Amino acid sequence: MNDFAGKPFAEAYVAQQPGTNEFEQFVETIPPESTKVDIRGLDFFYMRNQALYSVSLPVAQNAVTAIVGPSGCGKSTLLRVINRIYALYPGQRAEGQVMLDGQNILDRSTDLPWLRSRVGMVFQQSTPFPMSIYDNVAFGVRLYENLHKAELSARVEESLRRSALWEEVKDKLETSALGLSGGQQQRLCVARSVAVRPEVLLLDEPASALDPISTAKLEETIVELKRDISIAIVTHNLQQAARVSDHTAFMFLGRLIEYGSTERVFNNPRTSKAADYVTGRFG
Amino acid sequence: MSGFTGIFDRRGRRRLANATFVIVCTLATVVALVVLAIILASLLRKGIGGLDLAVFTEDTPPPGAPGGLRNALLGSLFLCSAAMTIAVTVGMLAGTWLAEYSTDNWYAKTVRFINDVLLSAPSILVGLFVYVIAVRPLHSFSALAGALALALIAAPIVTRATEDVLRLQPRALREAGAGLGTPIWITIRRILWKASAGGIITGALLAFARISGETAPLLFTSLNNQFFSLNLLKPIANLPVTIFSFALSPYEDWQRLAWAGSLLIAFTVLSINTLVRILASKRRRT
Repeated sequence: MNDFAGKPFAEAYVAQQPGTNEFEQFVETIPPESTKVDIRGLDFFYMRNQALYSVSLPVAQNAVTAIVGPSGCGKSTLLRVINRIYALYPGQRAEGQVMLDGQNILDRSTDLPWLRSRVGMVFQQSTPFPMSIYDNVAFGVRLYENLHKAELSARVEESLRRSALWEEVKDKLETSALGLSGGQQQRLCVARSVAVRPEVLLLDEPASALDPISTAKLEETIVELKRDISIAIVTHNLQQAARVSDHTAFMFLGRLIEYGSTERVFNNPRTSKAADYVTGRFG
Repeated sequence: MSGFTGIFDRRGRRRLANATFVIVCTLATVVALVVLAIILASLLRKGIGGLDLAVFTEDTPPPGAPGGLRNALLGSLFLCSAAMTIAVTVGMLAGTWLAEYSTDNWYAKTVRFINDVLLSAPSILVGLFVYVIAVRPLHSFSALAGALALALIAAPIVTRATEDVLRLQPRALREAGAGLGTPIWITIRRILWKASAGGIITGALLAFARISGETAPLLFTSLNNQFFSLNLLKPIANLPVTIFSFALSPYEDWQRLAWAGSLLIAFTVLSINTLVRILASKRRRT
């Protein structure tokens, strides 16, 4: 039955429909006042390889935007543009516009540490720093704010509570963060990002290495955080996208295929590719 | 295809080759260990008798008089500490540059290659080099020159260790640091160096062990001093050169002190290596 054995699935899917270089696209719009980050005509290159093709997509204010699609479609690449973490690596470049509150962050003049303190990021692999739990959470705060000890402790507690970790670690804040379980480490990374009070939080498959219980806790955290943070999450897990997100973007081969409210995209996809993907026919 | 294996069929030959290889390896190990044991045994036998309190409290004597190695021990400690201060500073910065900032261009490749060459450079050449740049211009052997020579030997070891252990840190850790809005140099200083501390300390300890017994470079640089001195611009007493001259002397009490000094150096190097082993095994467990 499977004609594509041995080939990457996404490519095989294209091969099925010869002559399609352009894809049908269905993109809803959201009002500008509820747009936090507006990505316009974004192209991305790894050296000479183009990974994103003219992607235009809003990240809504105080909502969760899920970015889904098959492996290698450019989901993570897109996410990594929003805080310009890609700029750590020579040879990676983005062209187009990424407007954050009306300012194009792709401008050369953008101060990257400042940008990244406003746009936090949590990675697939949990990355506790080699220091105590307390110092992990306080790390970013100390860089940007001069808080008194009591204020700092309050901030640490608040961040740990918001990421649903406080009850588990409140008696061992001074112990090494490396001793936490994988799920706890990942929530610690969320707390660490939240502590600097970012306006946008980028989550790059944050639950892919977690067990179901830890995943459920993390998802609760995400829903809690969107009260005052605009969140973009890349996920392989469609149920997860359906559970936590308000908007869903479906990407394919570096292009945005469909964008709209999560409910609509999942129940009534307008493009054939998105329909095939959300119904599990490929990807 | 039968279960029978003669000595001359393929499986038999293979087993014979295997057995021979294991035996040769074992023998080689035994030879190395026996030599080490003999050295340690004769060091202990001849050195332990010379070890008394006076070794640590009195300075090197003229022939026939009572005395110890205090000036040489303190001098060596001073030289090695000064050398390690230079070596760790230069080595950590160079290693960090190689691992974090260089983009594998020709300059980085050249630096790495030269560092590798320095790692195995004969120490006597290092001594001669420092003689030319630091002893001749100042018209005097000096502690400063000795420390420079030892630092030149230790720095490549620290550089290499720092680069290697930084490269082992996951990419995600750098991105997590940068992702919080941390400038790169703070990410390196506060996160990556901390995560790499065990490996860097191990490298520094090994470098310390290496230079604590070096004699050749000191002959051309710090020379020796019969008296206690911490003057950077004057010759300084040190253990290896003291051992060298006392061991070659015809006086029995000097020879006794040379044995005691040798035992002390060997013991120090052995302890440092053991410490490194313990640190390394601890690091693997966490």
